[in-house]
Amino acid sequence: MRCAMGIEARQVNELAINIDPIQAGGRLTADAMKAAIAYGDGYSVCDNCRKPNRLDYISKPPIAEFHRDVAAWLGMDAARMVPGARRGFQAVAHTYVHKGDPVLLTSLSHYTEFLAIEDSGGVAREIPAGDHKIVTADAAAAKIEEVKHEFGRPPALAFIDQVDYQFGNMHDVKAIAKVARQYDIPVLCNGAYTVGILPVNGKELGVDFVVGSGHKSMAAPAPSGVLAATAERAAEVFRTTAIMGDVTNRTFGIKEPELMGCTLMGVTLVGMMASFPHVKERVKHFDRELKNHKLVTDALLSVEGTKILSEYPRKHTMTRVDTTGSFDKVAETHKKRGFYFTSALEERGITGLIPGATKVWKFNSYGTTQKQAGHLSAAIVAIAREHGLTVTE
Amino acid sequence: MAFQALYTLTDIRMILRETAPSHELDPEQRKAAERLLENLERQVSSLKQEMLK
Repeated sequence: MRCAMGIEARQVNELAINIDPIQAGGRLTADAMKAAIAYGDGYSVCDNCRKPNRLDYISKPPIAEFHRDVAAWLGMDAARMVPGARRGFQAVAHTYVHKGDPVLLTSLSHYTEFLAIEDSGGVAREIPAGDHKIVTADAAAAKIEEVKHEFGRPPALAFIDQVDYQFGNMHDVKAIAKVARQYDIPVLCNGAYTVGILPVNGKELGVDFVVGSGHKSMAAPAPSGVLAATAERAAEVFRTTAIMGDVTNRTFGIKEPELMGCTLMGVTLVGMMASFPHVKERVKHFDRELKNHKLVTDALLSVEGTKILSEYPRKHTMTRVDTTGSFDKVAETHKKRGFYFTSALEERGITGLIPGATKVWKFNSYGTTQKQAGHLSAAIVAIAREHGLTVTE
Repeated sequence: MAFQALYTLTDIRMILRETAPSHELDPEQRKAAERLLENLERQVSSLKQEMLK
């Protein structure tokens, strides 16, 4: 079935259990789908845009209220919706980082944080993660001192991922931010894998900014995200335009240069808004998600030779697995090579893994029902047994 | 009425997601699906009457 010429109707989540590590938290709620149906047209949320003509002032649909609610929910003073977390990184980096400035991130940071630094002419300096792939406050303090020695000044900004994309490990943002504050370094908490998944409060973390991803973790269409700030930092990042045309003398009201004026002007924004009540509720029940996730990690660990490379017990539902000593052994002699594993999962209605991956791979069980998690666990054990791997009870 | 029918179909779609890949419905899901399908039939029927009158 096709939506249009050459575009197949996507039924991935209707036909299978999708454990793609980056897609799990972005699946739409029914309300977001309904909003998307009604607000698919281009500038659909702008029907009632009145002076001062800025997205976050529109009251019908209740966009202004939504902005206030999101800020409060994140324990921050102001929030703007942005086209993806990366645009939040970019706005903050562009405000604080000047050519040649050192900027702190971590050895597990997402590439878009590096690009945001590069775009502003900054120099990336990574806090190394420890042996257990955890970034600590002590390592942050040591790196800041190293940067001071190298550049003669502390970093202009710090990006700290609350849960990193490589291992899905939880890092102590609060302790790291406490260290950074001693050097007056603004701290951005990258909550791309946490905002919308588990409770996040920027004030409690002691950070200047919280960035979240709508399409990764807030059940919203792409590209969408949120940049929330303290009142002090909001005045800096969300400063308003001061430019004037020399021929026309035109000025541009209260548009915000870092956001290039208005941001999400249609289906992305209403999608976020429609999912928001559900997202607020679901973060309170993350323990259920971890319980379902454990069913899957237990099944994986029951297959002899399989290792969980992420911190364990798990604090997040995205996990990195090493099956070099189990499923990859089968791939060495299987006629389909590594593709046998993903094929076997597909046959059992499970999708989302990189085709052919049997060495190191990631999955995310977020949003699966208990029954689906059970199905996934049973499938892993059945595939292992079918191929002669040892499974411990 | 067109939106109502589309929204009912969206709710049906969510049941398909929750029950993938087997789509075996438990008694509660079956009841919800029956109610949604009945609503959909009514909504399509009303739409037919309105559009083709």
